[in-house]
Amino acid sequence: MKFELSEDQALLRQSTRDFLTSEYPIEKSRAIIEQNRRGYEPAEWARLAEMGYLGLTLPPAVGGQGLGAIELAIVLEEVGRACMPGPYLDAVLAGVLLHAAGGQEALLKDLTAGNRLVTIARDDAPFSGTAAAATRVESGRIRGTKYFVPFAAQVDALLVTTPDALHLVDGPFTVTPMETLDGAQRFGRVTFDHAATRLGGLDLLDRVEQLAGIGAAATLLGIMSRSLETTLQYVQTRSAFQRPIGSFQALQHRLAEMLLKTESTRSAVYFAAWCYDTRDAETALACAAAKAYAGDASRLVCGESIQMHGGIGFTWELDLHIYFKRAKTLEQHYGSTEVQLERALQAAGY
Amino acid sequence: MDLRLSEQHVKFRDELRAWLAANLSRPWRDELRDPNATEDSLMELRRRWQRKLYEAGYLGMDWPAEWGGRGATEVEKSILEAELAEADAPQILNFLGIGLLGPALIHHGSEAQRRRFIPPMLAAEEIWCQGFSEPGAGSDLAALRTSARIDGDHFVLNGQKIWTTFGPWADWIFVLCRTDSKDRHGGISFVLCKLDTPGVTVRRLRQITGESEFGEVFFEDARVPRDNLVGQIGEGWRIAMTVLAYERGAMSLAFAARYERDVRLLAATCNELGRGGTAVREKLGRLFVENEVMRANGMRNLANLADGRKPGPESSIEKLYWSEFDKRFRETALDILGPGGQLERNSAEARPDVDWAREFLWSRAGTIYSGSSEIQRNIIAKRVLNLPTEGR
Repeated sequence: MKFELSEDQALLRQSTRDFLTSEYPIEKSRAIIEQNRRGYEPAEWARLAEMGYLGLTLPPAVGGQGLGAIELAIVLEEVGRACMPGPYLDAVLAGVLLHAAGGQEALLKDLTAGNRLVTIARDDAPFSGTAAAATRVESGRIRGTKYFVPFAAQVDALLVTTPDALHLVDGPFTVTPMETLDGAQRFGRVTFDHAATRLGGLDLLDRVEQLAGIGAAATLLGIMSRSLETTLQYVQTRSAFQRPIGSFQALQHRLAEMLLKTESTRSAVYFAAWCYDTRDAETALACAAAKAYAGDASRLVCGESIQMHGGIGFTWELDLHIYFKRAKTLEQHYGSTEVQLERALQAAGY
Repeated sequence: MDLRLSEQHVKFRDELRAWLAANLSRPWRDELRDPNATEDSLMELRRRWQRKLYEAGYLGMDWPAEWGGRGATEVEKSILEAELAEADAPQILNFLGIGLLGPALIHHGSEAQRRRFIPPMLAAEEIWCQGFSEPGAGSDLAALRTSARIDGDHFVLNGQKIWTTFGPWADWIFVLCRTDSKDRHGGISFVLCKLDTPGVTVRRLRQITGESEFGEVFFEDARVPRDNLVGQIGEGWRIAMTVLAYERGAMSLAFAARYERDVRLLAATCNELGRGGTAVREKLGRLFVENEVMRANGMRNLANLADGRKPGPESSIEKLYWSEFDKRFRETALDILGPGGQLERNSAEARPDVDWAREFLWSRAGTIYSGSSEIQRNIIAKRVLNLPTEGR
């Protein structure tokens, strides 16, 4: 029994951290937020493929590395620490879904090679609880509108849900951008009148939703760790009343709470990933718990980070808001806290 | 990373489960609800239960073989705690003796002290209470003033201990007392005192639950043989700190098991009462989530122990987590249940499964005893986050 990473896993963590530190410094995220409406640099996407990240959890037959949820969590924790922009998690989830559906080897090879981009289109309404007209298939064509489609303007194909099935739909699409507070996480509204290939029932989504929860929670973990580290440095250097503000108990106790939330998220993420990989009976509850808890925890950690920085924490100039905003995006997507709490309850049998 | 128990630990757990199935006649919650149960009868039940565990070799498992040890580690102890919680077994009677004094004697006591005190401690023949806190020394324990003056072969104890858990039920007390009034930490010694010693008075304190699990102990020229000093004069603080590290232990799995049972009973009650609205479901969902994260913390701590890592100040995170969760959980239960959640255990309308009113009140203790939440946050801030101490 061992919670610490194996040698290979520790190596993956280190190499990912090195790669992201050199290729995705936070200035790049900032430049993308400020200047790049695509939300990432497609020309650099192939680098992720070269490094093997795009096919991380896919089998070698389609160019993947055949690794598990633990390894995905390791990579995404680093993605969170760097606040790497772009559709990485979305592309991974689409790949896992296509693989689960079967018969999509050619497309999967293109995904792992970084030649094509596919994401999942699920939301039938822009606001929670307002699902009115669902997307439907009529005489072989898929019709309807999906909202918050990840990186819709860049995708080559979409995995689209209807009330009872999952479909693969090739572009091109007409996309209306849906701009949010997080400039690096791009979404679009897509109206469909396209030919569609039915891949299977919605049960295909079950495992992918669990993995999405782990992935988003792992990313949140990286974001929280980085925000906490930044804040710990700040409170030790910033002085007020002739002493470092980190010496004040009013801050120390809240920092202790931030550590508790961050470390508990770490336990929850890796426990859920381990359950997922071993197909433990507890997987559904553990995954829902990881995502719901990470969402709550990130509010506290990222919010307190801004608070403890004071006025500078509220400026565009400081990087903290990039983390704060990405955390908010992740909290609402990949199964919002509200959705995960209900899933947890159902997974427990109630 | 691998969270599977080793074969040896699975074997230990399975044997334990079989033993519990054969030996635990009624879960603790049913004992509590027995209309004939009194505080005394429940104590006796806990004494008998401890003897059973002792005879089956489940106490002192990680101690040297002559004291009941069987080469077990913190891992088996954590599994034991988790399984006892899962089975809803009573807590053993002498948990302070075995949990705190036992390790102190094994690591710091004399051979004669071990021979004299450990066997009756394990067999629940002598029950121990913990004499640490005083009216003027709680979170700031080193401010304690109970004095031990040397007089020939004896210490003469004067002072008062308070919040003494098990004081009203114990035969002996281990006392932190001052042998040097000038040296704050180095002037403290660790002394064992029989509670029927002339000059020692125990008084019950009534807790907010109405129970008297704790009390206060007064010393007025109480004479204690010098042989009852554990370690050397002035070593008391160091011994107490190692002992408290044991007290905090790796307990998340056990707590998660106990709380999960009650969270499930609350969820089942909500179904039965038709309380399925969104507001209620969201609250229940959060309870399951937070308890599941506690379990994840527990798995991590257990795996770290199995991996040979010593528990460090992270145990403060564990204590803070479960005790604060317990308060939120019991508050939430009363929110959901409405006025019925406040009924006394034996009221006709009270829920038959959980004594929600008592649990609600009891949850206020966890964030105070054994290092309050404030102290835990201080420890995390100083020893994990390395934050600077506030200047004057």
